[in-house]
Amino acid sequence: MNASNKLLEVKEVRKVFGEGQNETMALKGVTFDVLPGEFLGIMGASGSGKTTLLNVIATMMKPTSGKIFLDGQNISSFKGSQLAAYRGDQIGYLFQQFELIDNLTAKENIMLPLAIHGINLKEQEQALLQLSKLFGIEELLNKFPSQLSGGQKQRVAAARALISNPCIVLADEPTGALDTKNAKILMEKLSEHNQQQESTILMVTHDANAASYCSRILFIQDGIIFHELRRNVPGESQEAFYARIVMVMAQLAGGSSNVL
Amino acid sequence: MFFEFVKHNSRKTRKENGVYFASLIVSIVAFYVILSLGEQDVMLYLKTIESDAVERLLLLIPVLYEVSLVFVFFLVYFANRYQLQQRSHEFGLYLMMGMKQSKLFLMIMGETIWNGIVALCIGLPISLFLTELINLTTSRLVGMGIIGHAFRISWTGISLTICGFFLVQLLAMLILSFTMSRKEPIELLHEEKEKSQSTMTTKWGAVSLLSGVALLFGTIFLCIAYGMSILYLRNFDYRVFALILLVGVCGTFILFRGLGSLIGVYVKRKGSSSTGLSMFTARQLQENVLHQWSSLAISSLLILMAMVCFAFGTSTALTNSAVSNRTVDYTFNGNEDEIKPLIKSDELAPYVDSYYGMALNNFYPPEDEPVLNYHFAWMGLIETVSSQDDSEPKEILLNNLSLQNTPYFISLSSYNAMLEAAGKKPIQLADNEVAMYTSDDTGASYDILKDILKKCPTVEIAENEYTLLPTLYSDQIVADRAITLMYSLIVPDSLFEQYFVADETWLWNMTLKDEFIEEKGLMQAMLEVDQVLNSTDLQYESYLGSMGRQLFYTVAGSYTTFYLGVMFLIIANTVLGLNFLMQQRNTHSRYQTLAMLGADVESICISARKQIWLYFILAISVAFVSGIFGIWSLLTAMPTTVFSLKNGIVIGLVVLLFILNEVGYIRMIQRKSDVEIRKLKEIE
Repeated sequence: MNASNKLLEVKEVRKVFGEGQNETMALKGVTFDVLPGEFLGIMGASGSGKTTLLNVIATMMKPTSGKIFLDGQNISSFKGSQLAAYRGDQIGYLFQQFELIDNLTAKENIMLPLAIHGINLKEQEQALLQLSKLFGIEELLNKFPSQLSGGQKQRVAAARALISNPCIVLADEPTGALDTKNAKILMEKLSEHNQQQESTILMVTHDANAASYCSRILFIQDGIIFHELRRNVPGESQEAFYARIVMVMAQLAGGSSNVL
Repeated sequence: MFFEFVKHNSRKTRKENGVYFASLIVSIVAFYVILSLGEQDVMLYLKTIESDAVERLLLLIPVLYEVSLVFVFFLVYFANRYQLQQRSHEFGLYLMMGMKQSKLFLMIMGETIWNGIVALCIGLPISLFLTELINLTTSRLVGMGIIGHAFRISWTGISLTICGFFLVQLLAMLILSFTMSRKEPIELLHEEKEKSQSTMTTKWGAVSLLSGVALLFGTIFLCIAYGMSILYLRNFDYRVFALILLVGVCGTFILFRGLGSLIGVYVKRKGSSSTGLSMFTARQLQENVLHQWSSLAISSLLILMAMVCFAFGTSTALTNSAVSNRTVDYTFNGNEDEIKPLIKSDELAPYVDSYYGMALNNFYPPEDEPVLNYHFAWMGLIETVSSQDDSEPKEILLNNLSLQNTPYFISLSSYNAMLEAAGKKPIQLADNEVAMYTSDDTGASYDILKDILKKCPTVEIAENEYTLLPTLYSDQIVADRAITLMYSLIVPDSLFEQYFVADETWLWNMTLKDEFIEEKGLMQAMLEVDQVLNSTDLQYESYLGSMGRQLFYTVAGSYTTFYLGVMFLIIANTVLGLNFLMQQRNTHSRYQTLAMLGADVESICISARKQIWLYFILAISVAFVSGIFGIWSLLTAMPTTVFSLKNGIVIGLVVLLFILNEVGYIRMIQRKSDVEIRKLKEIE
């Protein structure tokens, strides 16, 4: 593997909360890479540090030590306007609670990252049409979030995360607030985008179903990566991959109960 | 322990919520200023000469106090609501940790009282300082010496201020606590969750259509009100007045109800070409207008009332500025035999600068068969007036002249004596010349008459033609301002003496020595002379007594209207400012999302600042348009104000103060909003 090929490099990232006796180490030196076009899942139990890891990559908090390179740039050292330039433009976000701005229409919400970064909206109408077609939200563009169902909201949020054609999309439990049907639709659409447009997606989840759409999964426990699963493409069906994930999860639970 | 907790919480509130605390102080100042009116120097002085009228004004104070109570209640209510909403999460936590509701209520009340005490400790000294300042300025403005000035504290004022303040504070808190106590802890914990777009959810199209119709109707209503105010307000009829008010108020409400959709249309049209946060800014504003249209309308109406009050107050103060033209200090009623000994007496002589008879008489044939010719006609003057272009003042002047067939004659020597005593240049009259005099220098026809005189028209007295001097004279000829002459003639002594005997002079003017007035101040000096004169049974009128009456109307008119204006403005600002901050707080998560999507904190601050500007400008601009019509009709219904440089400066200052006040307040809210938004930086 060529080093210049890596899109995201996470190197020895540690994160400590609190001081002195109250000190808790949430990440104990996590290292991994993400390649362009990858659909990477991060799984782990509650308190395993997966959300902290995503927040650190998302620039929502700074790591205590270690480095994070996105496209060769050390984003963990960025400040103020440098950060603002990366957020929403180079990095797209998908949240569990959608985080749509509810006094903007769906279309306005999707176009917001572009507007913030001063991009001419008229030229991006084509991209908007493509994305809304992909996520099946063409009819909803002029509606306000309060007129949409949860699934529709998350698909709008997904379109917003992808509109600026970011290097990477970070998704934090995107199916967490959805029913199974809507979760399936969302994951199918994300996967479709990932395969057709070769977009890179990094998703934190503890839903094995959602994870089965990934091409690779990292399992994290107590702040360290302790296992990795790769979907064997071609050949392995989604169902088979799902079975393997569930197995690892069971081991993971059993393993920790053995330790305890 | 509990008390310490209360004290600690209050301190936190004061520190974090300056707007809330400032509102409390403002309400204290508002109470004290109106309650201490009776203790003001001007009022104390007026009491000595115009006790009846002053008593009546002071009777009005309780009414004003009650009106203030109502307004201050709203102020305090809004401020407290904002404050409680900010802390709702905290209260939810207390309840979840097992605090009883009654204890929570006690805690909130305790904090309210403690904060109230601190606000009083700061507010009362400020009020004392402010009333002192107002006291000194009014004394200065009305031209009195400030020698009689003493620092006074109105104890009844202070006690009523404290009572009133706690009354509104506790009442507002009781109502708020009651609504809060009915909420479940979960509601309190998640109070920050934004209200859903209730207006937007169902049938957006219908809502938008209705809003559009509302906007249209609002505009039509307002236009009707404006039109009616111009056409009918001058002939004051309370029914028409009530109708104008009703239509105007309804129009304002409906207009704001519909304004939201207009902003929506604007956003839609600009949507695809907007960059940065402009779309977000517009949507936030739209939401504010949609949710807060009634408070926007109320604030706008309050600002309108404030503007009208300021305009009325200023013009009342300015129309009476003629008060300062002092020509005569005292006028006695009687004959020379009675008056001369008094003026020459040891008690009075040291004060007197000059005295002279003011010879004036009505040019009217005596009842017994007249020997002389009493024929009089304005002929030449009327002809000249008639040749002018048609106008309303011209009609008034012609009508007035036709009613004045027997004018008063003033002897030239008396008038010159008055001019000399006042330090002015005397008039020179040839045998065939007379000069025109009027006391009415603010009337509608004053200007046109002044212009016409420049053409030197003539009048006919006893079949002889006399030319009028090109100047129109209007100096005060006696101390009593109630004595006015519509049109009279200053005639040469030779002509005056043909008709009237010198002994018939019944008005005697006296002026005091300038150095004496400078030393004591006009007010003190005249009060001293009054004492001497009161020991005699002579009938007299002093400049000050006469002026007191005028002054009373000025003070009563301008002081109370300014007071109300300031109150209205403060309340409107507080309602607008706090409403905005509350909405911002409720939609905090949106700002967070923006930051996540890559908007830097500075640009979010700028968006919020823009929202604040636009939000205030919406309310102010509607008030401003209404204000133009309101003030216009108000001023046309009042006697014309003398427009001079000085008055221009005063009006300019009032407008400037208004603008500065608004800008200052907007800046304060913006700073508060910046602080809230900068907290987002902590994410990094």
